[in-house]
Amino acid sequence: MRSLSSTLLAAQRSLSRLPYVKVEILEKIGGVMKLNWSRLYSGSEPDFYHAVTMPGDGSLIRARVDPTTYQLYLQRVMNPGPGSDFSSWTGITTVSGVSGIALCSSGATVLLFYVGVDQQTICVRESTDNGASFGSEVSITTAPAAVGWLAAAFNGQGVVALFYSVGSTVYVVKRTGGSWGSPSAWSNSVSAATGLACVYAGDWNLAVCGQDSASNQKVWTCVYGDGYSQSPGTWSALAELTLANAGSNVEFRCPYLGYPDVFRLFFVEKYSGTAPYSRLFWSHSLATAEFISNLWREPVPFDLSSNYGLAIAYRGSYVWLSMSSGVWRAEVSPPSVEVTQDVLSLTAETRPSSGRLRVELRNDDGRYSSIGSGAYAAIGEGSEVRISPGYRTTVGPEVSTGPAYWIEGWDYFSQGGKASFIIFAGDGWSILEHWKARRQFGWAAGEKNIFQLLSFVFARAGLELSSISNSDAMVNHYPAFTIHPGESGAMAVQRLLDMVPDVLFFRGNFGYIKNPLAGDSSDYGYGSDHVLWEGRYTSSAQAVNRVQVYGEGVLSESFSWAEIAKVYDRLRQVHDLNLDTVAKAQARGEAELRREAIARLSGETRVPVNCGQELYDVIEITDSRAGLSAAKRRILGITLRYSTIREAHYDQRLLLGGV
Amino acid sequence: MEIKRGVIKAFDSGTYKATVQMAGSLSVWLADVVVARNIPSGEMAVGRNCALVFFDETNPKDGVLMAVYT
Repeated sequence: MRSLSSTLLAAQRSLSRLPYVKVEILEKIGGVMKLNWSRLYSGSEPDFYHAVTMPGDGSLIRARVDPTTYQLYLQRVMNPGPGSDFSSWTGITTVSGVSGIALCSSGATVLLFYVGVDQQTICVRESTDNGASFGSEVSITTAPAAVGWLAAAFNGQGVVALFYSVGSTVYVVKRTGGSWGSPSAWSNSVSAATGLACVYAGDWNLAVCGQDSASNQKVWTCVYGDGYSQSPGTWSALAELTLANAGSNVEFRCPYLGYPDVFRLFFVEKYSGTAPYSRLFWSHSLATAEFISNLWREPVPFDLSSNYGLAIAYRGSYVWLSMSSGVWRAEVSPPSVEVTQDVLSLTAETRPSSGRLRVELRNDDGRYSSIGSGAYAAIGEGSEVRISPGYRTTVGPEVSTGPAYWIEGWDYFSQGGKASFIIFAGDGWSILEHWKARRQFGWAAGEKNIFQLLSFVFARAGLELSSISNSDAMVNHYPAFTIHPGESGAMAVQRLLDMVPDVLFFRGNFGYIKNPLAGDSSDYGYGSDHVLWEGRYTSSAQAVNRVQVYGEGVLSESFSWAEIAKVYDRLRQVHDLNLDTVAKAQARGEAELRREAIARLSGETRVPVNCGQELYDVIEITDSRAGLSAAKRRILGITLRYSTIREAHYDQRLLLGGV
Repeated sequence: MEIKRGVIKAFDSGTYKATVQMAGSLSVWLADVVVARNIPSGEMAVGRNCALVFFDETNPKDGVLMAVYT
């Protein structure tokens, strides 16, 4: 249960309660803002190596290589915007035709990296006036063979790290105090590199496209340490972000990384089979995830065909995307609107594997007739609706920030003198349901535990996962697991939860794992300090009181002897070859019985809204007519109802289970 | 239990296991799928369609490639 202030607690227990429900809508999905890109420039420059950066004065510095002449061009657009000229380029020099280029900046300093016509000499030109002018060429190093890709970034102390690939090896060379050091090779191994990207945030964080030793094509992330997540000067292992098997005719290339709000990645997926394509995909890290945790939402296609990708830059209010023939921008601050004063009614249903919201807003003056722009720009499909139940307390309106839902659609209701706007939304389960595996996902036994598998699925859907408590199996069971193409994230999560006694509930864009124990203490009480209006309390025999678990060469049985004594044995058989020890099989059997014990008791109550109530909380019920005195129950469902029209009400229906 | 369709991408007659492209998975294969011994190894030609049964739909090791067809 969410903790509440003493004044809010007093208000919700008071006999003279004054309801207050805060409703906000934000253009965010899974806690991360949705970037609405608008294209500002469509030119005729050919698609080839390119780069972009934004120095301290906010000018947009773009560079590109012509694929015919290998001429390197540079462009600086001050105060870039819709009316800017993005078509004017200045020739710099002739460069390698097989090597990438890179730009990076810090304050007024801009560095332009490229490879000479010998394909091996890496050069830099420096500007100290935000890219208005550049100094003469400086040679950094000469590689042992043709250089493939370049990426560079400053750290907070002005140290520059330049990364470059030569064949399958990535090198780093740093400039400290104005002097370039000696290059050193990374500690990882690939068989080919098809792109490099870098962004600094505590460490130098990289995305690498390439091919592994088995000729599988991959996008990896890795970290070159600067002391945040990785020791200075050391490399983390490569972490797979996406995969295409050898022979699939799919390859990945040209990644670009940025960190405007979260880590954002663009890369090219190229398919050379029937109906070939070369399509941009983007992804982002989770709202609070570290780069090194490698938790990325499922890459999403971007409406652009390119072999060389989109470079990302950001400063101030906008994020920018650039390729040779195009410039896009999007605002970085998501629109939001509070609609609290317009709420006519609201119903929020939370269940163990679903959550739905219906909010009816007044629209008698047609204020919601033009959503998606102006004051109501935040209202659109996919936007987040945050419901915070509360009361008017002695210190003013107080709320408990509650569940989040994401808009699925809406109705306009118009009848005679009445008009309303009704929003329908689903919670994190809905987001999980909408994520469908677009390929085979598989993990061998021993590769990831249940929590790590859940975290992966959550991340692919754009959600975060944390834990309040957990069973041993949640972190010690490493099953062979697969998600077949077309299966939903919700189904995968449910199947993983079936392997453990733990349960899952949502708080905002976070899913929380909780291990419900029979000995859990009560979070709150009804029927004494907090009024209980209605109650129905059901007790029934356990549907299953004996479980046989058949694993890989092992058998285990679990019994609920008290229940067997009453109704004789009611058997469930579980077959799971991932269970290869008696202890694992025993734990599964106990988990099955635990679920049945919780389901043995049911019923529901109707109470004045408890602003902090959450799924799977343990409560105490006192209802003398039902013979209940501080009787413990577990919350298995919550329906919050609020209405200011017709028969005004503000209540919660709590579905009950055993503890 | 689930029955799925796929395409054979590789077959090891020694281990009698196959690598299969499951229907709907453009770029990633399912490796080490057990093949029914009543299927002659000569019939396990790369590119042929196949049918797989998963006794436990979450566990790729608890299934068998039970038919191959063109």
